[in-house]
Amino acid sequence: MIKKTFKIPDMSCTNCAMKIESLEDDLDGVQEINASYHKLEMVIEYDESKLSDDEIVAAVKKKGYTAVTA
Amino acid sequence: MSKKQQPSVDPVIIVMFGVVFLAVAIAMIAFQPSSNSINIAANSGIMSQLVVAFVTGITTGGLSCLAVQGGLLASSLAHQIEQDYVEHAAKHKKVKNAPRTNSALPIFLFLVAKLVAYTLMGALLGWLGSFLTLSPTTRAILMIAIGIFMVGNALRMFNVHPIFRYFSVEPPKFITRYIRRTAKGTDTATPIFLGLLTIFIPCGVTQAMMATALGTGSAMMGAALMFAFTLGTSPVFFIIAYLATELGAKLEKFFMRFVAVVVLILGLVTLDGGLNLMGSPFSLQNMTRGWFAPQAQVNAAADVPQLVTAADGELVLTVGNNGYSPALLKAPAGKDLTLNLVTNKTYSCARDFVIPDLNYYELLPDTGTVQVTIPAQEAGSTLFFTCSMGMYTGQIVFE
Repeated sequence: MIKKTFKIPDMSCTNCAMKIESLEDDLDGVQEINASYHKLEMVIEYDESKLSDDEIVAAVKKKGYTAVTA
Repeated sequence: MSKKQQPSVDPVIIVMFGVVFLAVAIAMIAFQPSSNSINIAANSGIMSQLVVAFVTGITTGGLSCLAVQGGLLASSLAHQIEQDYVEHAAKHKKVKNAPRTNSALPIFLFLVAKLVAYTLMGALLGWLGSFLTLSPTTRAILMIAIGIFMVGNALRMFNVHPIFRYFSVEPPKFITRYIRRTAKGTDTATPIFLGLLTIFIPCGVTQAMMATALGTGSAMMGAALMFAFTLGTSPVFFIIAYLATELGAKLEKFFMRFVAVVVLILGLVTLDGGLNLMGSPFSLQNMTRGWFAPQAQVNAAADVPQLVTAADGELVLTVGNNGYSPALLKAPAGKDLTLNLVTNKTYSCARDFVIPDLNYYELLPDTGTVQVTIPAQEAGSTLFFTCSMGMYTGQIVFE
């Protein structure tokens, strides 16, 4: 398990953070996601053998946001 | 064209409009001057308070609620619905023929959850009110804090500085996680949760109504008061939020700007109300009253003078539904005065009369006269008076 921070500059409200956190249930290999509208970032703890950075970025994009490696 | 397409009007909208029309009809019957119902209202403090709460909700409360909670929550809701729509459209290639998302349902759920939450909170406040009461100073501090919160939120919506993002409330992770995992899917859980969350970010008018619920000292009355008020706020909230979700992303952006402007204005108004309630000479109303008084005096009807001088130590102040008349009084310095507060079918918050500097607070009868003894004041000093919401104000100048 590793922990990584992604910047998400296009979050516009606290509900955006809630939507991004729902990826916990959608992505296989994710242990925990903590998204913050205040910091415009998400901290994701995941199994790197099951999930890549690109897949995370793509999943976030599917939710309507842009994730950039911090 | 498929026959299985959804009807052009959502059933939820029909039900919602039914509720709205019924509520408006009740309010109109209650306020019909020639009907007996106003007498019932006049004779029954409870009934008149509930009607006032409802009308406050449907007018100022609706807009104020929309400004604070709409900016924070309904826009998130709208964004979610918008995104659901986009996701749905992405799944179906024929976007033009895709059935419209039932955007009324999440808003309806949001408002029902809000109504339930505020009713319960009203009961809690009423129950707590039997143990304690909020002083005008505490209310003033609350109003100023909420005013700052609203202005901060408006600046956040304008993207003025990243620091203003901290003016939005992030729900605790464990709650969002719990709801998400138990309800499975955000379509119904999120609006309900956001509706419940609104109790943590009451707008200025809601806060004042909460203070009133606290003042009832009864769980039943507190619940009824908050129910009436929140029901009143629902139509404006529903219509605007519904329109916002239907207008699409481009107009939604415009709507957000509009909300930001309204939040900013209401934030400043709430701040000003807080200053009024503190008896501050620096509130907008108190600073500008002198500018408009001479003009008002010229325009005033003969029987309603705007400037009254108390030569005999007696002052008469008419407390009406639209405020105090005259708003500017003059009195001799160095001697005790009697201020006669006269109400006549007065149901507005003007009844909650406050003189901050004297620490005087009284809920006046809807019809009658209450006398207040004002101790001798220094020449050149000013006593400000206001309603408990800081909306209606006036002053006595001592010469």
